[in-house]
Amino acid sequence: MSQNPALDGLPKHAIERLKGLRESGQSEGIFTSDLSVNEFLMVREAGFEPIGLCVGSCIYHMGIQYGQWSQNQELNVLSQAMYHARELAMTRMTEEAQAVAADGVVGVRLEVKRLEWDREILEFMAIGTAIAHSSGHPGFKGPQGRPFTSDLSGQDFWMLLKAGHRPLEMVMGSCVYHVAHQGFLKSLGNIGRNTEITQFTQAMYDARELAMERMQNEAHEAGAEGIVGVNLHEGSHNWQPHVIEFFAVGTAVKPIEDQSVIPEPASPQIVIPVND
Amino acid sequence: MGLLGRIIGGTPDPDAAKHLAEQQARDAAWQTALDSGRLPDFVVKRLADTRAHKLPWVSTTSIGSLMAMRTHGIRPVGMVSGNCWFNFGFSWTKGHAAGWHAAIERMVEEAVILGANAVVDVRMKVSRLAELGREQMDFAVYGTAVTVDSLPPSKKPLVATVSALEFVRLLEAGIVPVGLAIGAHYDWLYQPAYMRQTAMNSLTAAPYMNREMTTISQFVNRVRQAAYGLLASDGARLGTGVLARTQFSELLYFEPEENYPAGRCMYRHIAMGTAVQHEPGMHRPVKVKAVFSVQDKPMRQSLEITEEVI
Repeated sequence: MSQNPALDGLPKHAIERLKGLRESGQSEGIFTSDLSVNEFLMVREAGFEPIGLCVGSCIYHMGIQYGQWSQNQELNVLSQAMYHARELAMTRMTEEAQAVAADGVVGVRLEVKRLEWDREILEFMAIGTAIAHSSGHPGFKGPQGRPFTSDLSGQDFWMLLKAGHRPLEMVMGSCVYHVAHQGFLKSLGNIGRNTEITQFTQAMYDARELAMERMQNEAHEAGAEGIVGVNLHEGSHNWQPHVIEFFAVGTAVKPIEDQSVIPEPASPQIVIPVND
Repeated sequence: MGLLGRIIGGTPDPDAAKHLAEQQARDAAWQTALDSGRLPDFVVKRLADTRAHKLPWVSTTSIGSLMAMRTHGIRPVGMVSGNCWFNFGFSWTKGHAAGWHAAIERMVEEAVILGANAVVDVRMKVSRLAELGREQMDFAVYGTAVTVDSLPPSKKPLVATVSALEFVRLLEAGIVPVGLAIGAHYDWLYQPAYMRQTAMNSLTAAPYMNREMTTISQFVNRVRQAAYGLLASDGARLGTGVLARTQFSELLYFEPEENYPAGRCMYRHIAMGTAVQHEPGMHRPVKVKAVFSVQDKPMRQSLEITEEVI
């Protein structure tokens, strides 16, 4: 067999599959995931095994919000709805992970879908792949012994461990904000002038600030040292043009406690690709 | 005169009758072959000639892949394909699983004739006709059949929905991509309007309040779980895991009509991806090396940047 380097040391079952001697897999112990092949490789390289796809969904009816046409303000009802619905979806996903005894969920995607047939209903979905440490090390769980959650890819997960940190939970902050309309006289005054519209600047600033503040508080409560991979999304989910949601999301992390499982740091080699 | 002459209606093609007869013979051969689950003789002949090196080998892979295949004793043999134009008689959702599986089976049959061990670089493509809407569509797969040095031809070659480069890398790590697993499920929820109203009118809630629509949430979750259950059983038929990178879901509402006075909801979920065979807990380290690229992205045209920062 060793004339072919590709087959050297390949597990017996794999060679049998290649030869076509075995046609079927096994009925038990199958995992499902939404990992790419590279992610699958890197999750295993990090010392973990995928267990199964975990999903939580929540169909949510948004309450009615009254706002003043000419006032910059947070729309509390909508902010709370957007947060509550995502939290329900995330909690359900984490419960599924807990049910299969996972250490955590990687590659979590949080999706919000509008429905064509009702402007007030939104569909929220959290989906990710549950993984477990291959030798059952207990030091990788999230807060209160629950599975950790993270939107990091398999590659990012490997690099985070190399950096001496482990993910705790996905933290998020939401703020739905009404950007005030300008009064007629005010707009008239701006004609022909290059000028900042501070009212709008302030609205965007404030909304972003509120979302980030909430995310940071959540990480603090989870006992995190930091938040990595933060993304800030702006979205308008079927709302009027002046209503926008700022949504901050990231992964709260803390240093790995057990020194013996911290992988060797990887200092990058500088390269110049010649292939593209 | 040639082609142009024929188009503008000049001299009639003297071989027209012959060409027509040839085409009809081909059509008939395809019909018989598809009916009996085989391939037409002329396809079998071409593949057999390719295998016997009477015809050149064919590869759909990148040049980089070709290089990696060479160092790993993997040789391209020929391009293989299969398709299935599918009419959704009772279910668009379930039809997806059936359509892809049929197309793949036809492709594998071609790979068997080539004496391959695997089909790599498998691409998937759908085609539709606008006037048919969602009633019918074509599921097509094509890829490169390869042999692995020192292995005898397979009775059932593997279908790797990954590039040849990834195939090689996975083999190194003790993982074999073995096929395509699909889980597709849908269901109906009757009286959604009624349930929505009850939610709104209950004592604890008013229409202006934030409220989860629990019945629909649970319904959606049930359908998705069922789809994942099917994905797992389809995957278990092939290997030990599924990397389901493609996920599609849709929640539809149908207005009340005679038979359904309170309207109804339909939810569907399709999950599919590469099935792999591996040994859980037995990982062969690939020794990843971190690199820092000093290659800059090429400067882009000013028009492209405009929308982002200017």
